[in-house]
Amino acid sequence: MYVCRFAAKYKDDESMSVKLFLVTVVVVLSLAGCANLGVEPWQRSVLAKPEMQLISDPLSAGLDDHIYFSKEASSGGRGFAGGGCGCN
Amino acid sequence: MNHRPVKLIAADSYWVGSFEAMASPCELFMEVDEEAQARQLLNIAAQEAWRIESKFSRYLNDNPVHQINNSGGHPVEVDEEVAQLLDFAQLCWQLSEGLFDITSGVLRRIWRFDGGSQLPSQQQVEQIMPFVGWQKLTWARPFLTLVEGMEIDFGGIGKEYAVDRTLQLLQQHTDRALLINYGGDICTGGMRLSKQPWSVGIENPSHPDTPKGVLEISRGALATSGDTRRYLMHNGKRYGHLLNPKTGWPIDDASRSATVAAATCTEAGLLASLALLQGSEAETFLQNQDVQYWLTP
Amino acid sequence: MKPKKIRHALTAATCGLLGVNSSDSLGEEGDWSFDSAVLYYSEVDRVTAVEPVISATRDFGEERALNLKFVFDTLSGASANGATPSDQPQTFTRPSGKGAYTAAAEETPLDDTFRDNRFALSSQWEQPINRDYKTAFGINFSTEYDYSSLSANANLSRDFNKRNTTLNTGLSLAYDTVNPEGNIPIGLSSMIIDNGQANYRSEFNATREDSEENKDILDLIFGLTQVIDRKTIMQVSYSFSDVSGYLTDPFKIVSVVGDDGRPLEYRYEQRPDARQKQSLYWQVKRQFETDILDLSYRYFWDDWGITSHTIDLRYRWILDGRHYLEPHIRYYDQSEADFYRRFLIQGESLPDHVSADYRLGNMQALTVGMRYGMALRNEQELSLRLEYYLQSNDNTESVIPGILNDVELYPDVEAIIVQLGFKF
Repeated sequence: MYVCRFAAKYKDDESMSVKLFLVTVVVVLSLAGCANLGVEPWQRSVLAKPEMQLISDPLSAGLDDHIYFSKEASSGGRGFAGGGCGCN
Repeated sequence: MNHRPVKLIAADSYWVGSFEAMASPCELFMEVDEEAQARQLLNIAAQEAWRIESKFSRYLNDNPVHQINNSGGHPVEVDEEVAQLLDFAQLCWQLSEGLFDITSGVLRRIWRFDGGSQLPSQQQVEQIMPFVGWQKLTWARPFLTLVEGMEIDFGGIGKEYAVDRTLQLLQQHTDRALLINYGGDICTGGMRLSKQPWSVGIENPSHPDTPKGVLEISRGALATSGDTRRYLMHNGKRYGHLLNPKTGWPIDDASRSATVAAATCTEAGLLASLALLQGSEAETFLQNQDVQYWLTP
Repeated sequence: MKPKKIRHALTAATCGLLGVNSSDSLGEEGDWSFDSAVLYYSEVDRVTAVEPVISATRDFGEERALNLKFVFDTLSGASANGATPSDQPQTFTRPSGKGAYTAAAEETPLDDTFRDNRFALSSQWEQPINRDYKTAFGINFSTEYDYSSLSANANLSRDFNKRNTTLNTGLSLAYDTVNPEGNIPIGLSSMIIDNGQANYRSEFNATREDSEENKDILDLIFGLTQVIDRKTIMQVSYSFSDVSGYLTDPFKIVSVVGDDGRPLEYRYEQRPDARQKQSLYWQVKRQFETDILDLSYRYFWDDWGITSHTIDLRYRWILDGRHYLEPHIRYYDQSEADFYRRFLIQGESLPDHVSADYRLGNMQALTVGMRYGMALRNEQELSLRLEYYLQSNDNTESVIPGILNDVELYPDVEAIIVQLGFKF
């Protein structure tokens, strides 16, 4: 995470590839660090529940994204930043 | 436990392994090339089936089920696998509104479905009912506390669970097509080289030795619930072996057997059992679940 | 007792017991499932929107699934045009050039011409490549009176480590078109007011150039989902969005005020023609006993100088097996765009880009709400959510001239969100 914040300080376009690269490094590093996390297949009874999915109610999530996209300057994060609306 | 015989024979394009476990003939069809690999897979399957049998059988006295059933009302700490099955049993009890109950086994002390004609008295039933009912036990992971005198029995889940677990284990060793059949509970894995489905016979409950039909299965699982040989005849009325844990009496108008196709054997088996527990509503129940099924009235 | 549908619950439980993905199951084939909701969003004195949505999913087995979603959106009411309030009534030309609307003295000028219907259709197809790789493809289309959008997206994910780790990458391309009635105003041109002058129409037309403008949007997302333990799952993702083309809001203006703070003219806003947005998103979901905690944080930044923090917390409190209550709190804090100005003062040189759209200003927003859900027979589910949303802006202008000190330059925006949902 520290690396990403550091990368965020670059503003000019040329640093874009640098940022992407750093993010990739962060993701790969955290992936390597995750190798000993996790559960055995038969320990997934809780995680398999619909309400434990990261987006458990896609319809509500979509409606929320639409509201905040039209009322605030930020978008994206859990999904595509998107557009498709004249509201912003 | 581990030195019961296994048998391996070669068929046209696959190997057939067989052994005995959970009081059932167990068969394994493997579309692999090498005998050595077939033997390895067969050994893995048999070890797993025997492991589950010895861990969950209520007839053995050195396993978690025995420990729970003889806990004298004290809490018993269980391991992860037992806890998973208890969670599952609890959910099935909830979904079936109390009809599927792993504590109902004690009713067998008064109901003997040996083809005889002796019914227990209502008084006998009333004496045993305080020991039946999931709501009477306390399940607070990882501790299970039974009322003294209660027992649990994984008979309604164990064999199907063993089938699915065996397939999972075998699939870590091969991508080839497999069919596992533990006493009529079946699941398949992998695609056959010929792309042809497996053919499975369904037995006719009235004439157990003649296949009623052959159905083709290329993936997923099949399970059958029902046992036509276990019943009581009393005053001309046939009492099937399925007991209602809420009344202590057999389910009225229960179908003799139900076979269900689903993604896993455990799911198929539970749907078949729950269907029979619905009595005369079995067919409606199965229709509502949007599954393929075969029901013998 | 009537037999009910328990299959999905049983499938989920079995998958939990055996540790297979619930989407692996085969029996769903040919079975459509539906999810529907109606959203009511209403701001105090401003916009009201009613938005019914229906989503239909059909499972074709082997983890292949088709999802179709229809959204219909009706919007009405007024929205701030960007001008400052004054101690006198103000008159503004409607975006179409036909007629005018007024703002009373001391009041935030609101353009009351908003009335629009939006219809959106999206489709998504999921298809695994093998045991580890999955793909998804989608096409989305939406249309409203003066705006239309077409987009396509593709997603690839890969499971590792007994499916405990999933890497995901996605690409989306969109093409949007805006063609407002009265055409596109020329950025920074002065709004012509109809005071009865003979050549009003030609003066108005001189502020208009094109009848239609476009923008292109490229979105990329890279995500990592990790199972932490039996009850915890976590996700981090980075997303990048490049938007180019017409990013200005054709209905927004900026007041140019004199030393006394009274408006002398109104200029149409002008935003840069490109924007690069990036965000880092982190989410964790954990079950305690039976309740579920859902916490997320997003850090967002773009090359317009906006940075924002969003924290979202939900706690699903299971009342019993069939009912739950879910309190929700969301806090949002953004810094303003470099070219955001509440107003311009006469005599200063006109900037290249300027907007007084409060949504680009320094802003905090708070959402608090509650959701109630109830499981019905046959695996149907009913839910109701009620939320309160409050936006407030801060001043960043160094000089506030004259009467502007006595009016509300940064009014709060309050809204109520009501949503009724039904899954069947």
